[in-house]
Formats: sequence, C-alpha cells, structure tokens
Amino acid sequence: MPLGPGRAGRVGVIGHPVAKTAVVAKAVTPGPAPVAKTAVVAAAVTPGRAGRRRRI
Amino acid sequence: MTDMTTELIDQHTYLDSLGPIDYIVVEFPAGASSFTGEMSEALLSLVDAGTIRVVDVLILTKNEDGSVDAMELSDIEQLGPLQRVEAQLAELLAAEDVEHLAAAMDPGSTAGVLIWENLWAAPFASAARRSGGQLIATGRIPIQAIIASIEADEANATEGD
Repeated sequence: MPLGPGRAGRVGVIGHPVAKTAVVAKAVTPGPAPVAKTAVVAAAVTPGRAGRRRRI
Repeated sequence: MTDMTTELIDQHTYLDSLGPIDYIVVEFPAGASSFTGEMSEALLSLVDAGTIRVVDVLILTKNEDGSVDAMELSDIEQLGPLQRVEAQLAELLAAEDVEHLAAAMDPGSTAGVLIWENLWAAPFASAARRSGGQLIATGRIPIQAIIASIEADEANATEGD
C-alpha cells in the first residue's frame, strides 16, 4: 500500500534511525517469576515504601 | 490588528496549549500477533477520557530482505471502532520517518507506530511556561531500570549484613 500523499517529500520528525529498545523488551518478556517482578516494581513506585531512601 | 497578527496570536495560543507528543513502535514478531481488539479498546478509552489525542498511526511490515511496506490506517477495511480515530489523524510522519522507525524492527515482523499528544500534560506544561519555567529534560524510566536499582540495593544490603 502506498503512503498517504501528504507524507512524501517532507522533512521527517524522527530525525535518525531508531534502535530497538532492548531494555524495555527484556522487562516485558515473561521471566522465571514475572509476578514477583511486578510486585517489586509496584512497591518501588508506591509512596511510603519502607527501607528505601534517596541518597544524593 | 492585522489578519496576520491575529493568526500569529492564534498559532501561539494553540502551541501554548499543545501537550507533548510521544511515539511508540510496537513490534509483533512473525506469527506472534493475536489481534483481538483489546488494544483498540484500550486506546479508545484513553481517547474518550481526554487523556490523549491520537495524532498519527502507521502499520509497518519489514520483509525478510529488509524492505519495508507501510500501511495507512485508512487502508484497513475492517477498522471497527478505530474508524473515529482514523478520521482525526494528521499525517505527521513523513516518508523518511518510516525508514527511521523501521530500523528498530526485525525482518519478518509487523509493527504499529502510534503518535499521540498527551492532552493530560498540556495544562500543566502551559502553567509551567506561564510561570517562567522551561523544560530542560524529559525522558522515561524503563521498568527494567527500576528492577535493576532495587536488585542493586538488595545486593548492597546483603553485603552490609
């Protein structure tokens, strides 16, 4: 199928070839314990999680 | 005020209220896609809630020889509920963007490219600009990076025991 005529001959908005986001692909690939990982991440982004303090 | 001045003010007002534009490329490896309409429903619920506005959509197929075929949403015969999204699309992506986006794809795969405006962010961004703020950095934290950070913390805690 051809692209829409409005897309031809224009300067693009992406600007460079895109690389596959390996880190995201790895995160969403079911591992040995995807449920456990989900719980850990959920805890990390939940306010008031004990035992984790910002160090600057 | 001249018509041109009015037009410039209108453009500035529009730009000031525009939310940030994001994109994703979702790849479906050969033989692994299972389209049930679930993705469409989830997308439309975000549109209906006023969370996002869909700006552009393309379906890309990367052939085994590396060539890429692009399909417009309007080329799909049975669009179903996505038809109302298709009617409001802007052709933001240029032909050269197709090659750039397809660079991330594996041969034999199909990918959906989605570009959207974050309507939810527009009022906050606009308020920040009116307050004199300037966006100097933006990004996304991959879930894997959060997991790695937690695991590193846990490893450090174990060493300290």
